[in-house]
Amino acid sequence: MLLKVQNLHKIYKSGTHALKGVSFEVEEGEFLVVIGLSGSGKSTLLRCINRLIEPTSGLVEFNGKDITHINGEELRKVKMQIGMVFQQFNLIKRKSVLSNVISGKLGSLKTFESILEKYNDKVYNEAYRCLETVGISDKAKVRADALSGGQQQRVAIARSLMQNPKLLLADEPVASLDPATSNSVMQYFEKINKELGTTVICNLHFLSLVRRYATRVIALRAGEVIYEGSPRDIDENWFKTIYGEEAEEVEIR
Amino acid sequence: MSKQTAVEAQLKNLIEENKKREHKYGLYQAILLDIFFVFYSILVVQRAIYYKFFLDLRDLPFSWIQIIIVFFISVIAGTLWALTRTSLSCKLFGVAKDNKTTKWTIELFGWFLFDITFIAGWIVTKISIVSLFSPDGLKGAGRLFSALFHPQFGIFDDALFAMIETIYIALVATLISIPPTLIISFFTARNLMRENKVTFAIYYVLRIILNFIRSIEPLIWAIIFSVWVGIGPFAGMIALLVHTIASNAKLYSEAIESIESGPMEAISATGANKIQIVWHAVVPQIVLPFLSFTIYRWDINVRMATVIGLVGGGGIGTMLMQYQGLARWREVGLIILMIAFVVWIMDYISAKIREAIY
Repeated sequence: MLLKVQNLHKIYKSGTHALKGVSFEVEEGEFLVVIGLSGSGKSTLLRCINRLIEPTSGLVEFNGKDITHINGEELRKVKMQIGMVFQQFNLIKRKSVLSNVISGKLGSLKTFESILEKYNDKVYNEAYRCLETVGISDKAKVRADALSGGQQQRVAIARSLMQNPKLLLADEPVASLDPATSNSVMQYFEKINKELGTTVICNLHFLSLVRRYATRVIALRAGEVIYEGSPRDIDENWFKTIYGEEAEEVEIR
Repeated sequence: MSKQTAVEAQLKNLIEENKKREHKYGLYQAILLDIFFVFYSILVVQRAIYYKFFLDLRDLPFSWIQIIIVFFISVIAGTLWALTRTSLSCKLFGVAKDNKTTKWTIELFGWFLFDITFIAGWIVTKISIVSLFSPDGLKGAGRLFSALFHPQFGIFDDALFAMIETIYIALVATLISIPPTLIISFFTARNLMRENKVTFAIYYVLRIILNFIRSIEPLIWAIIFSVWVGIGPFAGMIALLVHTIASNAKLYSEAIESIESGPMEAISATGANKIQIVWHAVVPQIVLPFLSFTIYRWDINVRMATVIGLVGGGGIGTMLMQYQGLARWREVGLIILMIAFVVWIMDYISAKIREAIY
């Protein structure tokens, strides 16, 4: 078992109770998709796993180790093993694609070395290899903000690959992309999951994408897990429970 | 369903309680403000309008006892007034009763405050239409203006050197200010420092110190430093340096506060340490605003350097002061012309550079 989340609660300072006792487990090699409405706690859940947000109570166990309360160097070591891809890509816009990808490696580089930005060939080669994995190595020298949305997201994926992650978290990675690009970006996640064996936890909106890529699904509503199982089993009824009575399924190909 | 109503009831309670607390708090604030209003009105009417205008006293009588008596009167009057919930302050803090009395007091007292302030201001600044248009005064001004518009070019080379000195004073002050400002600005950026109590304390103390330094004009700093290191360009440069650091640190840290947090989150998720996060996620986002602020500051500093020269900060300002002291207005005219020209050029150049880098 790679990840175990147990009875996780998160209450924000504003009083919002975003997670109300979420529990689930993730095996190595899974492609787990988390679905639910906006505000159902999906993003909070992902961020609690790699501790970008501090959970209020509960337990997060990564690779057999309790990481809920670790700090400093120990936490950085864990973060280095967990890659993350965001909805807004979160690249450094003014920097080249290559240096954006290399920034995924920062955790294992010496501070001094990373400030001078003089890396050895091994790091460069690795960065090119990661860019090749997402099929964008020809853009290495281009400024990140000169790329299209889909390309930027692929760079962000390459950046997380630079970490050699055991676990890859993706927070609505295709929510700001058009349908066609969405599919191509999702295919890279699938490739990473199948070829590199990286475990993926991904927040998604579109059920058609969920059915196509997920090996398992968790549905959140108002901070609680209301469904856990195979993507095939989400029928009309479940859909209405997850997304509300008025929701209608939208196809995306 | 019942669970939901329970939650709703709880929320309603919370909101009610909050409202009550706010109301109480608002009333306290209203009392304090009303005390101040009464205190201010009595003092202004008594000292500025009665003593200065009606009695035309040169030296105002001052006694602490009188002030304290006035203060006590205003504490009592202000408190009572605010407790009736019809005062101006009650309205300002949202705790006033909604009736006709309130409306009338607010209107009357609002106008009263505005009027006495304006009248007192008129008296204090000694506004006098008569002296503005007295024939003697007009003649003097005319003489001066005609001299200013016929500049004496005999001192052009001296003035040019002084001008260059001024530009260099401004340039050096701006350049030296960059490294310390950079470092300080990171410690005065709220989004980087709020995480734990120690860093937040540092943030707070630094902000106070910077605010204090900034609130003292460069002119005053120049006077301080001309005593400290002696009259001359060096004193002027340090004065500008101190003020530049304090004001640019604020601008820089505001630029840091307005960066996108996404890239910071992304870099921190890779397991990078704090220094790496700042260097790779914060710095790239603030380089351009920093450059722009710094260039603009050089432009400001050139203008300030001329003023600082007046109190012994070297450069063209000092020269201006000398010729003004000798009442040689045609030389003064040339110097003013040169200052205007250089300031205009600097303004243009800095605007162009700032446009180009964005």
